[in-house]
Amino acid sequence: MKGMFDPTISALRQNLNLRLENQNVISANIANADTPGYKARTANFEHALRDAMDTGADIKLDTGHVGHLGSPGIEDVKADVYDDPNGVESLDGNTVDRAAEMAKMKENEILYNASIESLRKKLGMLEYGISEGGGNK
Amino acid sequence: MADFFSSMRVSASGLDAQMKRMNTISSNIANAETTGYRRKDAEFTATPDRESFGEILQNKVDESVQGVMVTDVREDEKPQRLVYKPDDPRANADGYIEMPNVNPVKEMADMISAQRSYEANITAIGAATQMANKALELGR
Repeated sequence: MKGMFDPTISALRQNLNLRLENQNVISANIANADTPGYKARTANFEHALRDAMDTGADIKLDTGHVGHLGSPGIEDVKADVYDDPNGVESLDGNTVDRAAEMAKMKENEILYNASIESLRKKLGMLEYGISEGGGNK
Repeated sequence: MADFFSSMRVSASGLDAQMKRMNTISSNIANAETTGYRRKDAEFTATPDRESFGEILQNKVDESVQGVMVTDVREDEKPQRLVYKPDDPRANADGYIEMPNVNPVKEMADMISAQRSYEANITAIGAATQMANKALELGR
C-alpha cells in the first residue's frame, strides 16, 4: 500500500459521488411522474465499482505507450444511466413507478449514509494514528 | 459532475409544476357550474436541468436528469354538458343550456394525485438535504 489513503477510502468517496448521481436520477423520475411520454431512468454503477475495486486496487496495466489502454481506476467508474427496462408504460406513455422510485430513493439514502459512516470511521482511525493514539477520537 | 443542487432544482421544478396543476384543478372545480367555461388541463413536459447559460453554451447539459415544466394549459375538447332548462334565459331554441364539461369527481381524484406527487417531491428534497448534511458532518 502506498500513501496514507488506501483504496477503500477512494472507493467510498467514489461511491458517494455515484450515489449522489443516482439521487439526481431518481428525483428527476419523481418530478416527472406525471409527464406524458416520460421514460423512467435508472443509474447502474454497483457492478462497475466492484469490478474496479477487484482489479484497480493492486494490479495496474502498464501504459508505457500512448496507444495502451489503462485499467480503469476507481475514480474512473461512471454510472451507466439508461431507460429502465422494467418500466411498465401507462396510458400516457409514462413508465415511472412512484412506489418503486421512493423505495429506491430510500435505499440509496441509507447506503449513502452507510458510506459516510464508514468514511468517518476510516478517517477517524487515520486521525488516531496521526495523533499517536492521543487524539480525541 | 453530480451535485446536491441538481436534485433539489429538479424536485423544485416538480413542486412548481404540481402547484400549477393544482391551480387549474381548483379553477375547474370553482367553475364547474359556470356557463361558457371549459375544463382546463396543465400539460407537463420534461426539460433538461440547466444550471447556467455557460453550461448550455458548452453543451454540458446532462440529459439523464430532467426537470418538469408546465408548457401549456389546454382546454378540454370534450363536448359541453347539455342540461335541459327551458326557463333559463341562456337556453337555446331546444331549451338546453351548455354547462362546463367538468366532472367534479375526476377533479377531486386529480387533486389527490397532484397532492401525492407534491409530497413525493418534498420527500426527494428532504432526502437530498439529509445527504448533504451527512456529507458536511465529515468535516466535523
